[in-house]
Amino acid sequence: MRRQAAIFSALLAALALPGSALAAEAPASGDTDSATVGIIGTVPAMCFGGTLTGDGTFDLGVLVDLTTGQLRTDLSAPNKLLVGSFCTSRSSITVSATPLEAQNYTAAAPNGFSRVVHYQASAAGWTALPATYNTGAASNAAATQSRSTAFTGDITVAISNFSTAGGASLRLVGDPSYRGVVTVTLAAVN
Amino acid sequence: MRSLLLLPLLAVAAPAAAQSLTTVTTLPVTGSVPQVCAMQQGAIQSGSLVNVAGLDGDTLRIIQFVDPATLSVKAASATISFEAVCNFPHAVRVESSNNGLWPVDGRITQVPGGFAYAVPYTAQVTWGVANAQFSADAKTRRIAQQTINVEAPAAGQLNLRIEIAEGASNVENRAPVIAGTYVDTVRIFLEPR
Repeated sequence: MRRQAAIFSALLAALALPGSALAAEAPASGDTDSATVGIIGTVPAMCFGGTLTGDGTFDLGVLVDLTTGQLRTDLSAPNKLLVGSFCTSRSSITVSATPLEAQNYTAAAPNGFSRVVHYQASAAGWTALPATYNTGAASNAAATQSRSTAFTGDITVAISNFSTAGGASLRLVGDPSYRGVVTVTLAAVN
Repeated sequence: MRSLLLLPLLAVAAPAAAQSLTTVTTLPVTGSVPQVCAMQQGAIQSGSLVNVAGLDGDTLRIIQFVDPATLSVKAASATISFEAVCNFPHAVRVESSNNGLWPVDGRITQVPGGFAYAVPYTAQVTWGVANAQFSADAKTRRIAQQTINVEAPAAGQLNLRIEIAEGASNVENRAPVIAGTYVDTVRIFLEPR
């Protein structure tokens, strides 16, 4: 908004000068005259992240097999849809995420246990290749994807590939609240 | 005379608040891990059997309970391992139904002097960082139990070592034992503190 206000001010200043010059002109004396009016409109580079379907939370429920205490192998959550996203110029989409961490059991997990679950987050539909981010990876080269044109469409955000930090044999410490966050960023490029 | 008027017309439609050079959408990911204790079926620890035939279902059967020459109790021991997990600070409770090995036949009421009519034993529990010994002293026939608090989650093998000492008796050491079938039931609980 601040940027748009600045553009507006600049244009008004441009308008003031020709206006003053016009006021000093003598009235037209011929039988024909014409004037040219230039019209300028500006569409700033901007993005809209879309309207989220559902409640916006990936709720995985119970994370462990209750007979073993180990991470369930069938974990899943419905995809989220960002409907009507758009960018008015070329753009980039970036996905990042934080691992699921026990919120109450904050001490270091004892031997044989973990308090962190890693996963992969992806954002598809905006670029040819989805942007992906794995919370357990040392680097995430595919986290940012670019497109060279303006675009509007839906973005599908998904999480998958869950794993226990430290190894699959570890159990998760009991905690009623494990929490992580997926962040999707749409950025217009001037 | 022709004049050129540059008249910028600016129609500004106020964009929605979420429209900007960069937009960020955050999506929480949530889950829970209930407090769980689980224990698998027990198995005899290799090499731990002394005068014990093995685990028959969930029963330890002693090969030769008394020395045939003296009728006093012969030593016997066995270690049973249970794969177990408790993912929260918890307690392990050992409970004996009889507080020792007592005759199945409750009709044995007349006990001649000098004879043992119950046999004590010990149960050693090793679990995580906890290590405790429970003594079923066979002084009285009752439910006896011992609880050990475990301050952290634990996973792995819970070992229960049952040991009957040579000559164990509820009267004098090495006393002869009255004829009968002697039993007890040991239960192990992993539970909230």
